[in-house]
Amino acid sequence: MASQAIGTRSRLERQRRLKAGAVQLVIIFLGLFMIYPLLWLIASSFKDISEIFTRAGSLIPERFTAENYAIGWAGFGGISFATFFKNSFIIAIFSTIGAVLSSAVVAYGFARIPFAGRGFWFVLMLLTMMLPTQVQIIPQYIVFNKLGWINTFYPLIVPKFFGQAFFIFMMMQFIRGLPKELDEAAEIDGCGRFGMFWRIILPLIKPALITSAIFSFYWTWEDFFGPLLYLNEPRLFPVSLALRAFSDPAAATNWGAIFAMSALSLLPAFILFLMFQKYLVQGISTTGLKG
Amino acid sequence: MHSTIPRVKTPNATVRRTSSPRKRYNTLMGYLFISPWLIGFFIFTFLPIIVSLVLAFTSYDILSSPRWVGLANFQQMWSDRRYWNAVRTTFLYVFTSVPLRLIFALAVAMLMNGAYRLVGLYRAIYYVPSLVGGSVAVAVMWRQLFGESGAINLGLSLLGVDGPNWLGNPRTVLIPIIILAVWQFGSPMLIFLAGLKQIPQELYEAASIDGAGGWRQFRSITLPMLSPVIFFNLVMQLISGFLVFTQGLIIAPGGGPLQRALFYSVYLYEKGFAQSQMGYASAMAWVLLIIIGFFTILVFKTSDNWVFYDSKEDA
Amino acid sequence: MYARRILLPLLVIFSLLIVACGAPSDTGTTGTTGRPAASTAASSPAASDAGAAAPATGGQVELRLAWWGSQSRHDRTLKVIEMFQKEHPNIKITPEYGNFDDHWTKLATQTAGGNLPDIVQQDYSRIGEWAKRGLMLPLDDYVADGTIKLDGVAEEQLSGGKIDGKLYGVNLGTNALGVLYDPEMFTQAGVAEPSADWKWADLQQTATTLHEKLNVYGVETFYNAEFFKLWLKDNGKWMYSDDGKSLGYEDDALATQFFQKLVEMQESGATPTREFDAGRGTIGIEDSLIVTKKSAMIFVWSNMPAAISAASGDRELNIALPPQADNGGQGVYLKPSMFFSVAATSKHPKEAAMFVDYFTNNVEANKILAAERGVPIAPAVREALQPELPAIQQKVFEYIATAEKVAAPINPPDPAAHSKILSDVYNPLIDQLLYGELTPEAAAKQFREQATPLLASQ
Repeated sequence: MASQAIGTRSRLERQRRLKAGAVQLVIIFLGLFMIYPLLWLIASSFKDISEIFTRAGSLIPERFTAENYAIGWAGFGGISFATFFKNSFIIAIFSTIGAVLSSAVVAYGFARIPFAGRGFWFVLMLLTMMLPTQVQIIPQYIVFNKLGWINTFYPLIVPKFFGQAFFIFMMMQFIRGLPKELDEAAEIDGCGRFGMFWRIILPLIKPALITSAIFSFYWTWEDFFGPLLYLNEPRLFPVSLALRAFSDPAAATNWGAIFAMSALSLLPAFILFLMFQKYLVQGISTTGLKG
Repeated sequence: MHSTIPRVKTPNATVRRTSSPRKRYNTLMGYLFISPWLIGFFIFTFLPIIVSLVLAFTSYDILSSPRWVGLANFQQMWSDRRYWNAVRTTFLYVFTSVPLRLIFALAVAMLMNGAYRLVGLYRAIYYVPSLVGGSVAVAVMWRQLFGESGAINLGLSLLGVDGPNWLGNPRTVLIPIIILAVWQFGSPMLIFLAGLKQIPQELYEAASIDGAGGWRQFRSITLPMLSPVIFFNLVMQLISGFLVFTQGLIIAPGGGPLQRALFYSVYLYEKGFAQSQMGYASAMAWVLLIIIGFFTILVFKTSDNWVFYDSKEDA
Repeated sequence: MYARRILLPLLVIFSLLIVACGAPSDTGTTGTTGRPAASTAASSPAASDAGAAAPATGGQVELRLAWWGSQSRHDRTLKVIEMFQKEHPNIKITPEYGNFDDHWTKLATQTAGGNLPDIVQQDYSRIGEWAKRGLMLPLDDYVADGTIKLDGVAEEQLSGGKIDGKLYGVNLGTNALGVLYDPEMFTQAGVAEPSADWKWADLQQTATTLHEKLNVYGVETFYNAEFFKLWLKDNGKWMYSDDGKSLGYEDDALATQFFQKLVEMQESGATPTREFDAGRGTIGIEDSLIVTKKSAMIFVWSNMPAAISAASGDRELNIALPPQADNGGQGVYLKPSMFFSVAATSKHPKEAAMFVDYFTNNVEANKILAAERGVPIAPAVREALQPELPAIQQKVFEYIATAEKVAAPINPPDPAAHSKILSDVYNPLIDQLLYGELTPEAAAKQFREQATPLLASQ
């Protein structure tokens, strides 16, 4: 969109195009480096077990086999990856909705409303991010156990509805980047705090909301530690945890099946990213300023 | 830290001038808006945090009840060589990987901010490293790249340099891990991208009419307008850098050669679970909290000088 | 169902926000009541779920069974659970499985929450610790009353599960250390294959020759503490004393010799260097060097050859006894690969014991299990199983039979400080030794100096 702005001057335009071409070349070259492990993963997922390690460096399977996908998809004892994917989707989608909405509400409170104790609570919120989770696991487990939530999705989903420090802080920064005049204008229009938040702030921080949604979805999707602790029965496992149950350091491990299912498990987050990222490209975030 | 944080300059001033019902309304509204977090904090987070603090002064093997030991855990830390090794490794990692990662993320975000063809696909491809995260595929690729006869050393040999066995050599083992962290720049990149979207286009238009070139536009528009987001990324990368867990674990399991790639969180986890010393691990966790807190305060203190919140004033 | 329960509070919040424009005080009250409602709505159905899961009604017994392993073990175990449930319709077994690390993290957490599964797959390195904490139930009563039948099972197959004379775990399969090798590479190099009474010096010699002739590694690295133990046992000693309060050998010369061997063999190229290992990393036994013919031998536990063989395209591999001490001492011993133990908190120990018995003695069940956990302890099961197995597994069975004849009795389980000694003392010292920062003498001396206080202070 930058080029559209200057589009009136054709000399600049030509120069710009040349530069853009060179830039594209660099992007493609670096892109190969970025995507190599994915290619390796996919290639290995189509290799026979006898080939995965003996010809690990090759990106083209000697004997192409889709068997790994069949074996992997079958999962364990009748619980297939259809179940694991379903569980992952339930956990990730609800967590994402909860995290984004609640974090936006809290972020607005912290960023725009001056109230007594704001600094204190904000510092406390930051502190919760600095304490390694590893030492909170056991007390947290006891809390959820007391609530009767073990072996349900609740410990994985419900806390997300109470705001997540990372997203709250991020959205705060975006909200604080918006001009104050907006708030004043809205106040004159007779909007209360909620109205201001819902009608004015929320649409303006759409890029931050989308970014949060992408992160939240992916982080929940790949998290195996929470599910490991709180879910007992494999029929409730998400993909991340099921993948770990495939391999064991001292037992025979079907790496082909692991690679096949790992490749599949990357798809949802990748597709979500492709779908959502276009909202970060529109470049008309200034509507609010003008309107 | 307390005073510096949400000191959003203008609102505070206006508040003080307004009447006290207005103040009360704001306080009510403020607590209402942050109530989800407050409630969640007291239900889910508060207790575990307090418990972990208490455990820091106990000997607790998880299998039996904790036993009060006073400051013994902290004394043990003082004379624990592996602990200091982990501190050193983690500091080295944070102070190299965080700036590099941020610079790289910002540079790529600016490249990816254009409206050219296939930009969506490029972005997705550049986000792939962050998606594959800590998977086996990444570990395998890194070992191939940085192996004794890997691609990196092949490149170096063309320059006449004899490359080391990067991951096997205690002097070089951190380098591939730092490069891995930089390579997984996806999340700060995405946040930068969202930040760039929020910069009003008119500013650039006005600047180019004034004859400002690319670099000057970057210096006088992009950087200041993006500063709240840069600030956020810096703080978060700092925190997550100190807490880094996966990278070291997949690339150099067991701490790597001569324990030179033993990270704080990895060591903490090993102590807490593999060695059943949860009390010691809790003590380590609280020391880490203080370390991270210290650096976060530093960043917040300097932020007044370079983070601009009111877009109109600085444009 | 989760969907609906969470959607409801969500909709409350949503609608609340949308109607918010206007009177601030009004929205205030809705907001505060809306929140707690969300959490109670979510928690109450969970409570009723837990209520339904509680045992009791109608003689129906529910057992939770936790084990670690990989996909094939999960599949086999699940099938056996199904078979067991068919025979005992009043017993329902809920499986909980994952990989080794996850299994232990989870068990630790569950212990803290007072929430252990009824039947737990245990490991030799931890069973002593768990038994001493009173977390596991002694099974002797169930053996005495015939619930768990162990007739004809050799004592050395069971002793690993005994702590202070009581049986805390039933061995699920027997393992022994051995040397897996590629006979074809030996032929190529013109080197004699390992004999039944080869010595450590022969190993060094053979490995060096293989390296020189074929430009491969003779044997993969064996600096792991398991092999240090083996070396000590060859020489009539062990890493720890029987009470676990001190080291099990008095003369540091023994440790020095082992460390010396490690250094010599890495220098001659008979084994890879530590640096090579650290740079290479492994993701599992499947990417051992022998798979890609970069090494001719590897020290293994006897449950590993099957996986290595599969990864190397089923080429011929043989198993030999580990080398002896110069005086002919053979330290090979039979180790329980894993156990089933019953939690002290189990409400149905009798039914749990019944399952353990089924797992141990039922021939059909073991045909499904296919010795994947190691060679079964019940003689009848072993005999029925052997002819049905693939070639490499048959070799493993034969190997265990050979090893059983010469095996020394197993030493008591590792003391609680073992994992700490490994990661804080032994492994770092081995690193220093193999990166040339310590001499073998110094490493042996420091090992004693640093390990002794850890053992004494337990």
